[in-house]
Order: sequence, then C-alpha cells, then structure tokens
Amino acid sequence: MTESIVSVLRALIFIVIALALCGLIFSVAGYSAPDMFRAIIDGAFLRTGALQQALRWGLPLFITAAGVVISFRAGYFNIGAQGQFYIGAICAAFAADWLNGLPAFIVIPACFLAGMTGGALWAMWPGILRLRSGADEVITTLMGNFLAVIVLIYVTSGPLKDPSGSGQQASSRPLDAAYRISTSYGVSPTIIAIAILVGVLLWLLVNRTAFGVLSGLAGRNATMVTWQGARLWNIGLASFIISGALAGLAGTVELMGPNGRLASGFLPAHGFTAILIALVANLSIVGTAIVALFFGGLASAALYLPVIAGLPSSAIDITNAAIALFITAKSNIVDRFLRNWRKRGWTT
Amino acid sequence: MDDVIIAILRSATPLVYVTLAGVIAQRAGIWHLGLEGLMIAGACATILGTVLTGSIFSALLIAMVICIVASILFWFVVEKLKANQIIAGLGLTGLGLGGTTLAVESIFGSQAAVTAPSGLPRLGAMFGAYGTLSILVLLMPLFVFAVWVLLCRTRFGLRLSAAGEHPFAARSVGVNPGRMRLIALMIGGVLCALGGAELASGSLQFFSQNMTAGRGFMAFAAVIFGAGHPIGATFAALFFAIVGAIGIRAQLVFGERVPHDLLLALPYLATVFGIWLSARLRGGVKAVTGFGELRDS
Repeated sequence: MTESIVSVLRALIFIVIALALCGLIFSVAGYSAPDMFRAIIDGAFLRTGALQQALRWGLPLFITAAGVVISFRAGYFNIGAQGQFYIGAICAAFAADWLNGLPAFIVIPACFLAGMTGGALWAMWPGILRLRSGADEVITTLMGNFLAVIVLIYVTSGPLKDPSGSGQQASSRPLDAAYRISTSYGVSPTIIAIAILVGVLLWLLVNRTAFGVLSGLAGRNATMVTWQGARLWNIGLASFIISGALAGLAGTVELMGPNGRLASGFLPAHGFTAILIALVANLSIVGTAIVALFFGGLASAALYLPVIAGLPSSAIDITNAAIALFITAKSNIVDRFLRNWRKRGWTT
Repeated sequence: MDDVIIAILRSATPLVYVTLAGVIAQRAGIWHLGLEGLMIAGACATILGTVLTGSIFSALLIAMVICIVASILFWFVVEKLKANQIIAGLGLTGLGLGGTTLAVESIFGSQAAVTAPSGLPRLGAMFGAYGTLSILVLLMPLFVFAVWVLLCRTRFGLRLSAAGEHPFAARSVGVNPGRMRLIALMIGGVLCALGGAELASGSLQFFSQNMTAGRGFMAFAAVIFGAGHPIGATFAALFFAIVGAIGIRAQLVFGERVPHDLLLALPYLATVFGIWLSARLRGGVKAVTGFGELRDS
C-alpha cells in the first residue's frame, strides 16, 4: 500500500513541477499564469456540464490509453496511437459509406469491426518490422502517424469527400443519423458501455490471464521470459495488435459518436494525450480510467479557453507536454522525503 | 539539373544540421527525440527575432540561446531526474510545438503564418544559379567536417563516446559522464537552432505552426540509419532529402499522373525503409532504455 501511495505522490510532485514550468512559459509569452490556470481549471472541472464534457473526451482517450498500457507493459514503445486512431476512423468511415442504406444493426457492428481491424493492421506493420528485423518501433510508429495524417487528408479530399463541404477543412460525407451512436454532444449509454466493457476485459487480460503476466514480465526482462519458454514473438505481436485495435476502436467511437464525419486533422493531440494518460496512471488499467477523466477535462478545456476566456488553446498542449517531460522522472526525492517524515514519528 | 540540386540542398541542409545534433547526443548515450521541438523553437525564434529586432544575427543569437536553455532543461530531466529519454524527448517536442504556437498567438494575435522582412545572408551572384541559397548551405560541409573531427579525432570525442557507451569506465578515468552529456546536448542545441533557422529563413522567410512536419524525427532516424557516425548520418539525411526531391521532380515531369499525397508520403516511407534496412544490416537496433523502467515496481 505504501508503495502505491509513494508512486502516486511522486507523480503528483512531478506534475506540480511541470505546471510550474508551464506557468513560467505562459508568463514569458506574456500571459498571466494565475489567470491561465484559473481558466483551465474552470474550463476543465468547474463550469456547468464539465463532468459530461470530461466524459465525452475522456472515454475515447481511455480506450486508446488502455491500448497504450498493453504495448508499454510488454516493453514496446508503440507511440503510433494517433495514426492507429486515424486509420481506425477511416476504415470505419469506409465501411459506413459502402454499407450505407442497410439497417443499423448490421452497419454499426461492421463499422466497429472495420475500425478495430484498421487500427490493428496499422500497428501490425511496425510490430512485424520490430519483431522480425529489430527495426526500432519508436521511429516506425512515429512515421506511421505522419503517414496516417496524409492518408486522412487524401481520404477526406478524395474518395469520401463531402461535395457540399466548404471552408478551410476538408471533411467526409456525414454519417446517416441512424448509424450514429451518440449526438454531437458526445456522451451516450452506448459509448459508456463500450468504455466499461473495454475496461473490464483489459483488466481481466492484464491481471487474470497468462498473457497479462507474461507480457508484464517480458517488458521487464525479455531474456528471462524467453528462457522460460514463452514465445516473445507471439506476446509482442499480440500486444501491438491489441493496442492498435483499441486505438482504432477509439477512432470509430469518435467517428460514429460525437464527430459524425471525418475531418482532415481532427483531434491531433489524441494519441499523445493517451500515451500521457497511460504513463501518469503508471500503466495500470484502473489508474488509466481515473486519469483519463482528468485529461478528458483538460481536453474539453482546450475548446473552452479560446471561446469563453479568450486564451489560446495551445496552453493545453503545453500543459500536456510539460507533464510528459517530467512524468517518467525516477528521482527518489519523494521516497526520501517520506522516509524522513516517518522517522520523525509520523506513524507513531 | 541545377534546380534539382538546389531543391535537394534546400531540403537537406536543415535536416543535416539537426542530424549532427542527434549524432552528438547519440554518442553521449542520449536518444534525442526532442530534436523536433528544438528545431521548431529555432525556426520560430529566428523569424520572430528578425521581425522584432530587425537583425538576422541577433535573431540567430536568440534562437541559439533558447535552444541551449531547452537542451539544458532536457539534460536536467534525463540526467538528474532519470526520466525516460524517449518520453521526455517527446515532451520536449510537444513543448516546442505548443510553445511556438503560443508565442506566435501572443505576439500577433492569430495563428497565421508570420513572414520576416529579411532572411539569412545569401551566397550572392558569384555562385550563379546557386546564389539564392543561404550561407548555411555552404557552411554545412564545414560543420559536418568539424563534428567529424570533434567526435572521431579529438580526446573530447573519445571521452564523449566513452561517457555514452560505458559511463562506468569513463568515470574511472576521471571523466564526468553527466557533464559530457550536458556539453553534447548544448552543442546539439546550437546545431538545432541553425537547422531551424535554415528551414524558416533560408529560402522563404516565414514561420507557420508545425512547419518542421516531422523533420526532427527524420533527423533522428538518420542518426540510427547512419549508425551514429557523423558522415554516415549526413548521407542518410541526404538520402531522405533526395527521395523528397525526386518525388517533386516526378510530379513536374509526369504531372497529375503521380498523386500529390503519395509524394508527401515519400520522405516518411523512405525513413521507415532506412530504419528497416539499418536494422537488417546490423542485426537489430536496441533502444538503450530498459522498458520495464517505465513502471514503478
């Protein structure tokens, strides 16, 4: 128990340090740091409907982040969640377009299948390159993100282009209302049920199956796992596929839920935020669910800031990046502090 | 032919400077994924500096100072706080991308591209068709040579490699690996500032959001492709630039038959190919970080 308290405290301390850095950057850029933080907290957690907005942004983030947990636990830095998210959404959009006109109970499952398959395939090629040839997955998945952005631009301005669309952003034809799983407002029982299902299944996968144990061990000491006779290839490929499929699922949820159509470059920070959530949660599924709501609130504040408070939304990107910079810090300042505290008679 | 070479030089030069920064960091034992963030900070500071001070040299100075300060921050987080290099590097990149957007918005009130009245000094008429290139293009081979001498022909370079490959051995002969890494990252900061300056100010003289478009990550890939050797990595960076230029050429020659989006994708595909090839040839590139470290026990 103390272990986990220490790790939570450590995360909190480094988040505070990261926020201090943000305050410094805001001040240098000519904004008032206290005003900025007040507006962010207000937009994320205090205004009316904030919880609903945190859920709307947090649930898809949770799904992607849970996938990131699986690949990071197994020891693979799949940082291509953004690309897998896009490809998932694109495949689902194609499925919806081809099956347009069929009843919803056929189209919706087909879209989910397509989206998850798309995301899984987009995670599979870096996985195979990594496992077969040793090609570093950090770079290949990153390049996969840039390639997916290009595919998205191509799809929204080519095959799925909305002819009536005008303005700066190319977008696809909107989905038929019958195929949507939520209104544009973004939270619906279906989406909540999907997120809960994902959470429960992944918790079981991580904590109650041989795969969960072996992949966790493989992430710490791959040699040992190989010597004990487990197939590293299977574990590795499975974790790439699962993480890609979940990112693709999140893309499908965003497409068929709040967005209703593909727009080129939509939600550009989704993948990075999901990675951050997984790390802040210390790669635990339960933690990921809690932390995802927090970052979901922050993501909704990004929309609130320019409209209500007249502040730039890039403040949220900076906050996230600063947290990323510090979150993996391993300094044992906190442990030392706690030990001293206890010596002075905290427990007595 | 001239215009093809000019196009290649124009896209290769920023990449080579940033690649050199990555090589120095790699030698010191740091996987530098913050290159992208440093590069865009350099690009932004150069343009904003030119607009605000009116002088390209003070703008370059500002860019270098900002990149050095950011490098020191990265060093502190990675070396002193023992953060994971890959995640911290991505964080630095995010700070660069977000920070430059915020700076532009705070100064100009919108996210539109900023144009500077003047850019880096050009080579001038005596170079004929190549006169429109900036002096940083001409200086590039000198920098490559200088980094090669520094890393492969001086005592400092040897100590740097020792600090990266076997910190314990380095420490046993009185070399402080942490300090070597700090110096390596600070030199890298200067090189990233120059790369960003060339990108933003070497030909068109403007800055727009996310204008680096993954070039910093490509430079990092060039470091891996070039096996951490300054000459090899430079050729890897040139290869990525040539692939991009050939794509543009192909579109000029074949017109609409070559899809525009495929063209955009070429440098990224070349990068994936380069990483795959170098892994094949060398039997696997392993990340220096133990992945299990990510999780507290």
